[in-house]
Amino acid sequence: MNIFTDWPSYLPELLAGLGVSVQVALLSLAIGIPGGLLLAIGAGSKNKLVRVLIIGVVEIGRGTPALVVLQIFYFGLPASGLTLTSMAASVVALAATTAAYTSEILRGGLQAVPQGETEAAGALGMNRKDTLRFIVIPQGFRVAIPSLIGFAILIFQATSLAYTVALPELLSQAYSIGSTTFNYLSVLLLAGLMYAAITIPASWLTGRAEKRLAQHL
Amino acid sequence: MDIFLTVLQGVPMTIGLTVSALAIGAVGGIPLALGRRSQIPALRFLAVSLIEILRGIPPIVWLFIIYFGLGTALPQLDPLTSAIVGLGVISCAYMAEIYRGGLSAVAQGQWEASEALGMGRQSVLTFIIGPQVFRVSVPAAASYAIGLIKDSSVAYTIGVTEIVYFANDQSRQSSDALGPFFIAALVYVIMTIPCAWATRALDARLRMRVAR
Amino acid sequence: MPPMQEKPLTKPLAIRLDSIAKNYGEHTVLKNVSLTVREGEVTALIGPSGAGKSTLLRCINLLERPDTGCITVEGSRIDAGTNFTTKDLAALRRNVGMVFQSFNLFPHLNVLRNVSIAQERVLGRTRKEADVRSLQLLERVGLADKAKQYPSRCSGGQQQRIAIARALALDPRVMLFDEPTSALDPEVGLEVLAVMKELAAEGMTMVVVTHEMQFARDVSDHLVVMANGAILEEGHPEDIFTDPVQPRTREFLRAVLER
Ligand SMILES: Nc1ncnc2c1ncn2[C@@H]1O[C@H](COP(=O)(O)OP(=O)(O)O)[C@@H](O)[C@H]1O
Ligand SMILES: [Mg+2]
Repeated sequence: MNIFTDWPSYLPELLAGLGVSVQVALLSLAIGIPGGLLLAIGAGSKNKLVRVLIIGVVEIGRGTPALVVLQIFYFGLPASGLTLTSMAASVVALAATTAAYTSEILRGGLQAVPQGETEAAGALGMNRKDTLRFIVIPQGFRVAIPSLIGFAILIFQATSLAYTVALPELLSQAYSIGSTTFNYLSVLLLAGLMYAAITIPASWLTGRAEKRLAQHL
Repeated sequence: MDIFLTVLQGVPMTIGLTVSALAIGAVGGIPLALGRRSQIPALRFLAVSLIEILRGIPPIVWLFIIYFGLGTALPQLDPLTSAIVGLGVISCAYMAEIYRGGLSAVAQGQWEASEALGMGRQSVLTFIIGPQVFRVSVPAAASYAIGLIKDSSVAYTIGVTEIVYFANDQSRQSSDALGPFFIAALVYVIMTIPCAWATRALDARLRMRVAR
Repeated sequence: MPPMQEKPLTKPLAIRLDSIAKNYGEHTVLKNVSLTVREGEVTALIGPSGAGKSTLLRCINLLERPDTGCITVEGSRIDAGTNFTTKDLAALRRNVGMVFQSFNLFPHLNVLRNVSIAQERVLGRTRKEADVRSLQLLERVGLADKAKQYPSRCSGGQQQRIAIARALALDPRVMLFDEPTSALDPEVGLEVLAVMKELAAEGMTMVVVTHEMQFARDVSDHLVVMANGAILEEGHPEDIFTDPVQPRTREFLRAVLER
C-alpha cells in the first residue's frame, strides 16, 4: 500500500496549492459575477446595437475553452506589450469566462421575475434603475443561486488549467512533487481527492439551495 | 493564413477525441444510470459514488492520473488513448445523470401500463422505456457534447495534437504570439455555435413532441 | 377635497383622455376613446372581456403607450404622439396609484417593505418616515399585524389590501383599479370591496374596471360601458342599469346579471 504511505508528506505543499486554487476561484467569481450581471442587464437593453454586441461577446466567451482564454492572457498578451503574472492572467481569464457564463444564468434569473412586478414598480413611480436594483436583481439573483453555485464548482475545477501557466496551484504542486518522487499516481490521486473534497459537498449545497428557494417563493 | 491552416490541423483530432469520449459515455452511462436506480442499496451507493467522484475531479487531473499516474505503475498508455479513456469515463458519469433525467421524464404510467400487459421489467426497459429515454436525452446530451468539444482542449497538456496544441506550437515559433490563440478561439466558436443553435432548435421540436 | 354636495358638473377634471388610439399590429384595441373623470368621482368601467378596458386604464398612467391621443392627469399633460421625457412621465405617475388584478406584490420584501420602498425611492422619505406612514395605511386596511410577514404568507384578499395600501402610500390623487377582485373568491373579494368603498366615501378619485355589477351600481358615480375598443355608452349607473340606450349594453347586462 505504498500509494498512501507518503500522503502525509505531500500534504503541506498540496494544501498550499489548494489555497492558491481557492483564491483564484474566489477572485474570478468576485470579478466575473458582477461582470456577468452587467452583461445580463445590457442584453435586455432597448438599444438593438448594444444587445447584439453583448450577445456576440457572450457567445464568443462561452464558445471559447477557458484554457484558450488563459493562453491568450498569459502567452498572447505580452506580444502586445502587456505582461501579466500567472496569477493575474489566471484570475482575468477565469473571470472573463465567468462573466460570459453567468450572464446567461443571470439573464434567465432576471427574466423569471414576473413582468407584473416591474409594471407595479413603474406604476409606483420607481425609475428603471431603482426597479432593477430593488425589485428585479434581488429576485433574479435568488432564482439564479443554484445555477451559480453549480458554475462556481466548475470554475474551481477550472483553476487546474492554470497549471499550464505555471501557477503554483494544486495540480502544479502535485505534478512537481510527482516529477521529483516519480510517485505520480499517489500524489495525483491525493490531489484529485482534495478537489473532490470541495466539489462534492458543494454540489450537495446546490440541491439544498434549490429546495430552500422552492419553499420561499 | 499559414497559421490558420496549421491550427486547423488540430480539428480532426479534437473532433475524434470528442466523439470517442462521447461514445464511451453514451454506452458506459447506461449501467451507471441503471445502478443509480437499482433496488440494491450497495449497487446504488457504488453508482452514486462513481458518478460523484468522476464529476468531482477536474478533467485535466483525470488525464494526469491516467497518463502520468497509471503510466508509472502499468505500461504507459499513449497520450491520445489516455485522453480518450479519461474524457470517456468522465462522460460516463455525465451521461448517466442525463439518462437519469430522461428516466424520470418518462411517465410512471408507462411502467405500470406495460407491466399490466404482462411484460417483464427487462423487456419494458428495453422496448418501451429505453427508446423514450434516449429520445428525451438527446438535447441534454447534445449540449454536453458541445461542452466536451471545449473540454477536450485539456488533452493538449499531455501532448495530444489537437487544436490548442498547434496553436501553442505556432505561438512559440512565430513572432505573432497572440494570433494563433485567437484563431484557435475562432475555430472553437465556429464549431460550437452552430451546434448550440441546432441543439436549441432540436430541443424545441422534441419538447413539442413529448408535450402531452 | 371637494365637498360632496356640490353639483357634479362644477367639479374640476381629474383625468381627461382625448381620442386615445392603440393598435397591436393589425389589431385595433382602442378606437379614439375620449373620457373625462371628475375630482372625487368613482368611474366604473364595464364591458365584455377583450373590450379594451384594461388597455384604456393602463393608458392613463402610460403603462401602455397609446399610438395617438392626449392624457391629462391632475394638470400633467402628455401627448402620446410626441416624445416625452421620463420627467414628464414621472410627474404624471406621481399622482396616480394603481391596483392590479394579480396584486403584483414584491415577494422578496416583507409587507412593510412592500409599502415603504417606493416612498423612499420616489418621495425621498427616510425609512423611518416611510415605515410610520406604511403602518398607518396597513392599519387602515386592517393588516398592521402582517407588517413583518412576507406576501406569500398572506391570503389573496390580504395581498390585495396590501397592494392598495402600497399604492396609497404615495398619496396619489387618482386611483386606478383593474379588476381588483377577479382573482379572489367572492367572500374574500368583499373585504377588498369594503376598503374601496371606504376610499370612495372619503372622496378619492377612482377609475375601476370591474365585473362586480353590484359595486358598479351602488358605489360608482359614473358608469362607462366599453365594447370592441370603444365606449358604447356612459352616464349615471342607475340610468344605464335600468334603461340602457344601446342594444349591446342591454345584451351585456342581461348576460352578466342573469348569471
Ligand atoms: N400586449 C398585447 N399584445 C397584443 N394584443 C393585446 C395585448 N394586450 C391586449 N391585447 C388585446 O387587446 C384587446 C383588449 O384587451 P384588454 O384591454 O385586456 O381587454 P379587457 O381588459 O377589456 O378584457 C384584446 O383583444 C387583447 O387580446
Ligand atoms: Mg382586463
